[in-house]
Amino acid sequence: MPGRFRRRTRFLAYLAIAGPGLIAANAGNDAGGIATYASAGSQYGYRTLFFMVLVTVGLIVVQEMSARLGAFTGKGLAALIREQFSVRLAALALGCLLLANLGLVVSEFAGIGAALELVGVSRYLSVPLAAIALWALVMFGSYRYAERVFLLLSLVFFAYPIAAVLGHPNWHTVAIDTVVPHFIASKDFIFLGVALIGTTISPYMQLYTAAGVVDRGIGPEEYRLERIDAVGGAIFGDVIAMFIIIATAAVIGGHGPLTSARQAAEALRPVAGSAAELLFAVGLLGASALAGAVVPLSTSYAISEAVGVERSVSRRFREAPLFLGLFTFQVIVGAAVALTPVNLIRLLIGTQVLQGLITPVILVFILILANRRSVLGPAANGPIFRIVATTSVVAVAGLSTLLLAETVLSWFGIA
Amino acid sequence: MARRAVRESLVSLAGLVGRPVRHQGGAEIGKLVDVVARWDGVTRYPPMTGLVVRVARRLAFVPASQVENITHDAVMLRSARLDLQDFERRPGEVALAKDVLDHQLIDVDGVQVIRAADLYLAPVAGRILLVGVDVSTASLLRRLGPSRWRTRPTPERVIDWASIQSFSDPETHVRLRVAHTGLRALRPGELADLLEDLGRDERQELLESLEPATAADALEEMEPGELEALLREAPPEQAAALIAAMEPDEAADALRGLVADERSELLEHMPPLTAQRLAVLLEYPVNTAGGIMTTNVVCVPAGETVATVRRRLAEFQEHSADIDAVAVVDGDGGLLDDVPLFDLLLAPDDRRVGQLVAEHPCPSVAPDTPLDEVAQGLIDARRSSLLVVVDDRPVGRILADDVIDAFVPDRGKFHFPRLLR
Repeated sequence: MPGRFRRRTRFLAYLAIAGPGLIAANAGNDAGGIATYASAGSQYGYRTLFFMVLVTVGLIVVQEMSARLGAFTGKGLAALIREQFSVRLAALALGCLLLANLGLVVSEFAGIGAALELVGVSRYLSVPLAAIALWALVMFGSYRYAERVFLLLSLVFFAYPIAAVLGHPNWHTVAIDTVVPHFIASKDFIFLGVALIGTTISPYMQLYTAAGVVDRGIGPEEYRLERIDAVGGAIFGDVIAMFIIIATAAVIGGHGPLTSARQAAEALRPVAGSAAELLFAVGLLGASALAGAVVPLSTSYAISEAVGVERSVSRRFREAPLFLGLFTFQVIVGAAVALTPVNLIRLLIGTQVLQGLITPVILVFILILANRRSVLGPAANGPIFRIVATTSVVAVAGLSTLLLAETVLSWFGIA
Repeated sequence: MARRAVRESLVSLAGLVGRPVRHQGGAEIGKLVDVVARWDGVTRYPPMTGLVVRVARRLAFVPASQVENITHDAVMLRSARLDLQDFERRPGEVALAKDVLDHQLIDVDGVQVIRAADLYLAPVAGRILLVGVDVSTASLLRRLGPSRWRTRPTPERVIDWASIQSFSDPETHVRLRVAHTGLRALRPGELADLLEDLGRDERQELLESLEPATAADALEEMEPGELEALLREAPPEQAAALIAAMEPDEAADALRGLVADERSELLEHMPPLTAQRLAVLLEYPVNTAGGIMTTNVVCVPAGETVATVRRRLAEFQEHSADIDAVAVVDGDGGLLDDVPLFDLLLAPDDRRVGQLVAEHPCPSVAPDTPLDEVAQGLIDARRSSLLVVVDDRPVGRILADDVIDAFVPDRGKFHFPRLLR
């Protein structure tokens, strides 16, 4: 039927511009993401590229399941977890989410601090001011406009693919490292690997994707197109991430771990020359400020949804005490931790490792939900998808456990 | 007094699950897994029909007739021996812990969608009934704590089950329950809020249980985005029927939100006359008088008596919100005046409406008038509606509330993902 087809293509165009899957996956390229990817490029050159391909497969699988759960149930993930598991398990999942997102908020404020330090503003001034400004913007409703500015600023990071090309990387090595498995059996590599997983497959993205799908009223009928958005968004986000690794590796590869934002900005030198630092600062500020508001909002929304007060309470979310309290709490903790006198880049990567450790917990919930016929009916995971999804989740969980075990053992001086 | 007795004997379902089920002698035969109740839409408090008990590794069903009593931390059975039947859900039955606890419900009195934090059972006249639902956060926290806490009811925010609209079991998809009578008494705006807050299945179920006219009234009040989503997910026949039952101006508005192909698909499913009327309305751009007018206009010839006009108005009862005046026309259908209902009410029965026509020309607008001019026209005329005329013939009416609607764009609820648009 031609009419149907035209309707589909138009809907597709809409999803392509602003689909929840695309937005969520690209939100992964925030302050923590850039620090982690740049660090990977600087420390290991192109050798993490194959690992990124694997992580991308995992991200695709997970994002697709989240979008499917949203489309077929019309409910957010937090509500589904409470309905389908016991209240205690739901509390565990949300506790993990709160912890992971707190880590993210810390990294966003650290990102704001790092960005402004590049242009000479002390973080002891910029971080508290940014926290107050973001809080007020969200609270008093002018956030929508500020958000467009942040989004625009963060577009600067599209300079990375150009920088990657202009930086004359060894394309032959890039190609080989992308397809040939390359693992280094060192603690540092596992540490970075977990950070890469954590920053690419953040639990917050899955909750956001499901909520976005529900909110836009994408139902089973449009699901085929939403799947394109979820999968395409995941691939697009990760391709940008891989370009960040390539660009950094081409310019400062092999210099060991990153130590400062100034060093990370070097990667943009092929594009911007001496303005590289400024360009990097602008992009980092935009990305961090954007996520600095969205991440705490998404935590508050998920917890309110699970408790069951997200909708009936208010027409304006300012009137919802739980929501408001959680949001304020996260902003305060995030800004406070970001002010502790540690190396900002180490802090950024550390929070991504925390994400990586928590991600498997949320993934298990998503996997079980998407497997259940009682939840999704005929759209539940089929046998082949089940194997792929389970493998992805087990692999992510395995690496996280490995890091956790090694860290704990090292405390006792065993490893 | 009966109510107080009930409150004192409340048993918390969340606390009871996992507790021992004992013989009369006191020997434990298994642990309680779930409580099964039956709802038919008529009884206010659904009776318990049985228990699901885990005996060894097996799930067994114990019919209510074998239950002696239920206390807050144990279940006592009546007979010494138990014939274990395998648990099998019968139509009309719902497993409370699995299907109702932690799921969405509608509190009809409080007009809100809630999530059950706990359910309370109480023995009443020899039966055990589901009497209330707890929505407090304290109850949720109680369930997180050790099992000792869980059995203690904390009935601070308990809603009487009689004011709850529940949903059917999601697995069998049997629509069991007729709509709660209280739902019919809700204002359309309140019903719209409820629809917006529900999940996909629940929303569809609520919509199906409502009369089409009631549902259509509620849809008129919904957020454009939510309405669009609802129309997309409903089967085309149902969506078309709902739109056809809406007031024409609201229906045209709803259709405008969809893309052209969806629109024509829905129009095809409507009665031809309705579809034709809507198609005419859709021709006008949304920011002009024609774009927001309703086509519900009562036109009467000048020669009719006031009594006849009143009888005629009775036929328009379901559109009463759209009608605050009557267009008086001459023999050719040309507009003479727009006579307010108040004037009609005061006029004697035998007076001809032509005699009510005022001297000065009647205020009206053309369909392509921009909205700010329409607003100015309303202010100048000091009326709550204005006629829209083409070639001197009334074709529609602009209502002040639709103009206000057009000028107050953002009155939506807060939804987190919207922040990102």
